[in-house]
Amino acid sequence: MQDLLYFSQQLINGLTIGSTYALIAIGYTMVYGIIGMINFAHGEIYMIGAYTALIAITGLATLGIAWLPLILIVALLCAIIVSSSMGWAVERVAYRPVRGRHRLIPLISAIGMSIFLQNYVHLAQGSRNIGFPALIDGSFRFGSGEGFQMSISYMQITIFITTLICMTVLSLFISRSRIGRACRAVSQDLGMANLLGIDTNRIISATFVIGAALAAVAGLLLGMYYGSVDPLFGFIAGLKAFTAAVLGGIGSIPGAMLGGLILGVAESMTSGYLSGEYKDVVAFSLLILILLFKPTGLLGKPEVEKI
Amino acid sequence: MKTSVKKLATAVGASVALMAAGQAAAEIRIGIAGPMTGPVAQYGDMQFSGARMAIERINADGGVMGEQLVGIEVDDVCDPKQAVTVANRLVNEGVQYVVGHLCSSSTQPASDIYEDEGILMITPASTSPEITQRGYELLFRTIGLDSMQGPVAGNFIVSQNPNRVAVIHDKQQYGEGIATAVRDTLRDAGVDVAMFEGITAGDKDFSSLVTKIKQANVDFVYYGGYHPELGLILRQARQGDVSSKFMGPEGVGNKDINTIAGEAAEGLLVTLPPSFDEKEENQDLVAAFAAKGEDTSGPFVLTSYAAVQLIADGIEQAGSKDPFEVAKALRAGTFETPIGTVQFDQAGDMESFEFVVYEWHTDGSKTPVN
Repeated sequence: MQDLLYFSQQLINGLTIGSTYALIAIGYTMVYGIIGMINFAHGEIYMIGAYTALIAITGLATLGIAWLPLILIVALLCAIIVSSSMGWAVERVAYRPVRGRHRLIPLISAIGMSIFLQNYVHLAQGSRNIGFPALIDGSFRFGSGEGFQMSISYMQITIFITTLICMTVLSLFISRSRIGRACRAVSQDLGMANLLGIDTNRIISATFVIGAALAAVAGLLLGMYYGSVDPLFGFIAGLKAFTAAVLGGIGSIPGAMLGGLILGVAESMTSGYLSGEYKDVVAFSLLILILLFKPTGLLGKPEVEKI
Repeated sequence: MKTSVKKLATAVGASVALMAAGQAAAEIRIGIAGPMTGPVAQYGDMQFSGARMAIERINADGGVMGEQLVGIEVDDVCDPKQAVTVANRLVNEGVQYVVGHLCSSSTQPASDIYEDEGILMITPASTSPEITQRGYELLFRTIGLDSMQGPVAGNFIVSQNPNRVAVIHDKQQYGEGIATAVRDTLRDAGVDVAMFEGITAGDKDFSSLVTKIKQANVDFVYYGGYHPELGLILRQARQGDVSSKFMGPEGVGNKDINTIAGEAAEGLLVTLPPSFDEKEENQDLVAAFAAKGEDTSGPFVLTSYAAVQLIADGIEQAGSKDPFEVAKALRAGTFETPIGTVQFDQAGDMESFEFVVYEWHTDGSKTPVN
């Protein structure tokens, strides 16, 4: 019983972190799916989302507003607006001018953008860790008084439910809406979609905006969950999310979700049963193994040569 | 055209000569190297403020052998690669003395360069024992060693009679070194060390670690490393209902841990150098810091002050600006500084340095624990 509780606790830890990896991974995978480039500045967009949310929360606190739902909604909206405009601007400034050139050029442009944004936040906000207030406190507990007690914090539940809602809305949006259909068309064949009257530039911008908005949601959630933000915060998370996207099959949205969850659970199980020191080793070995046997990732479709 | 080139050349020549003359007008350049940016910039601030104050006060008193001290501040971000870059820059600046670096992992590679270039270095903050074990002639420190701090922490934990202890570290030179010293002290005393594990510095998610600590049912957790990670561990441990007592080295003892951990920082135990700023004889100095709006409660403010002062005193005693002579004088003499009477051993470490266990509070204050 004790062992089962311990296992479930580690599973929940892993699923929580995994679902936020998935939220960030969507941004990588959508952009890749549509224009075939890796947006390395995406981790920074997520970090900026967390900072914006923190600034909004602090601002509301100084105004004396203490009603939790209002704080959360305002922080979320601010984060989404700022991150999305940032995502849009990054695409306009750094990617659109070099689109269609050799593959390496947009990649380098993306890395440059990532370094620029990181340093911009360094300068604007300082390099220290800034504490994030714990807005959602408390937890459910399971197990007897003696021995191991499993606890699921309200924050973990919030993260889980929010991710679920975001994913569902996104899937519906992609499969049912006009823009979603256009997105799928553009990802299949950009040139043809253009010929058929789809404004591909607008669709590509929309992709960046959607990815950035989801990253902003993840930024707010993780900021609150962990309790601090710093300018390098996006880099590691971005790397992990990118791994998740590749693991699940880059270009595939369900793949990003699956990849994120697998990566999160693998990490928490490794630190739970082996040692925290091997966490990244196991996560990346898993990635290599999967790519060895299934180069397109778990749910990725093999690329068909277009003639 | 020709004449104008000639004129220009003369002008350049003259200004170079002037600049050279300006330098010859007696100043002693001291490099101050530490993190101004990056996750541990908080400690760099302490170091820079202490060193600046010392330079200011020594200059006001007429300088050293009639020459003024000039501080040249550089930022190593507490990154070993950056430390080497700034060390080379100081060499190019013609610096003969360095106060720094702060992080042990930066001090180590930088000290290789200083030793080769004949530059005397005093670190006010690096506590890794290995640094002074390499037989360097020009390397000193005004702080204790992990091998002194570890046993203080270890013995304190033993005195609390814990059943099981977890020792966590951040896999860096400083953190792992001190955690190992604590673990060994505990094992020698027969305490059950249930966990000895590393985390990755810069990580944010410690939920698995916290669950593991809870499962191991330890009543004491020692963390070797810096405040950004311990702050998060404390906070996540509190959310995960872990009731163990936490303890850390001086790398966690600053007010930034309160902004990260919030209320979870209450009751954290920290080994720190004794509060030099509470000593009778330092009250003048503390008032001078306060007049500039600076805080002296950080562990490295007065150790940096002492480092600059020791360089000045060493030059006076040696009667020479040659770093090798100064090093000899420093090894030979005893010096009165704000951190007490300093006497160096052959390795360049202080003969004795005390660490005290403090209890940390939510508002960033601390009280000594007996």
